[in-house]
Amino acid sequence: MKRLWPFALLVVLGALLFWGLRRGDPSALPSVLVGKPAPDFTLPAFAPYRAEWGERIQLSRYLGQKPILVNLWASWCVPCRDEAPMLEAAWRQYKNRLLILGVNVQDTNPGAALGFIQEFGLTFPSGIDENGRVWIDYGGYGVPETFLIGKDGKVLYRHAGPLDPATLQELLGKVL
Amino acid sequence: MSYVAPPRSSKTSWRTTYAVRRIAALLLLLACSFPPLAFAQPAANTPPPDFSPQVFEIARELRCPVCQGESVAESNSGISLEMRRIIAEQLAQGKNKEQIKAYFVSRYGPWILYEPPRAGLTLWVWLAPLVGVALIGAGLYFYLQSARRRALEAGAAEVSEEELRRAEAELDQS
Repeated sequence: MKRLWPFALLVVLGALLFWGLRRGDPSALPSVLVGKPAPDFTLPAFAPYRAEWGERIQLSRYLGQKPILVNLWASWCVPCRDEAPMLEAAWRQYKNRLLILGVNVQDTNPGAALGFIQEFGLTFPSGIDENGRVWIDYGGYGVPETFLIGKDGKVLYRHAGPLDPATLQELLGKVL
Repeated sequence: MSYVAPPRSSKTSWRTTYAVRRIAALLLLLACSFPPLAFAQPAANTPPPDFSPQVFEIARELRCPVCQGESVAESNSGISLEMRRIIAEQLAQGKNKEQIKAYFVSRYGPWILYEPPRAGLTLWVWLAPLVGVALIGAGLYFYLQSARRRALEAGAAEVSEEELRRAEAELDQS
């Protein structure tokens, strides 16, 4: 009986290891903002959007009217290039029922960001998070990140990393 | 700034410029061989002089969101610089360390704290090494005790009278 103890201990340790390995992606960070009111921000709009959206885009002006998809992007971010056409397509399709708002973060070169907008012909409004405070307010730890804000103004979901068409459809399905 | 070519009308003037260039090159080489003299750099591991040491004391306890393996005090990423700026601003507003840390925790969750909190589930992270050392110590203590007991028992039984006598005789000789 006494000899079985080390084996029992090994089995327990092995089970613990197996459980730890199957816990999923440890670097995926749940947002503490989910279920809370979306932090407000006011950002200078990029030149192409000033005529329609004004010099500065303020989130709280649009909260409570439609669900909002806030996408944090940067011109140097490679996965953002895959996302941009998808977001643009979603914007064209659901414009009347959903607001897509781009927030340009961690871009030291505004010219490059403007080039990105022109390259993909993005028509949904984007503003510049000049000092990165909006990114910090939203607990950002990478680019891209996408926040879904419900009609009640509360954060429903945060997706860290690039969106794929299925994830985007799933997100939109929650609010449309 | 435009570069003006030295006059090359006569041989002497060409030679003097050549000599001057050679001395200049030598001086440059000398300067480069003494990097501390050539480039006055701050000593390693001292915080950059942009904020007070108090800012860095708090920044050391926060995780850089984009680099994750570095604290906000060590990282030079844009977001860490901005976080140090926020810490400096909030200190100027009279907030204390716990309030500033809570500001970041309310945005990122406890993940932003560079060291896991010494409470709740993460308390085990701190206790596990102590428990491990205690277990190994206890195991070693009991093993050595039983080993000593076994050695004493075996030793008393196995040394014969003959061997003892021989050993004593050898000791007397030396």
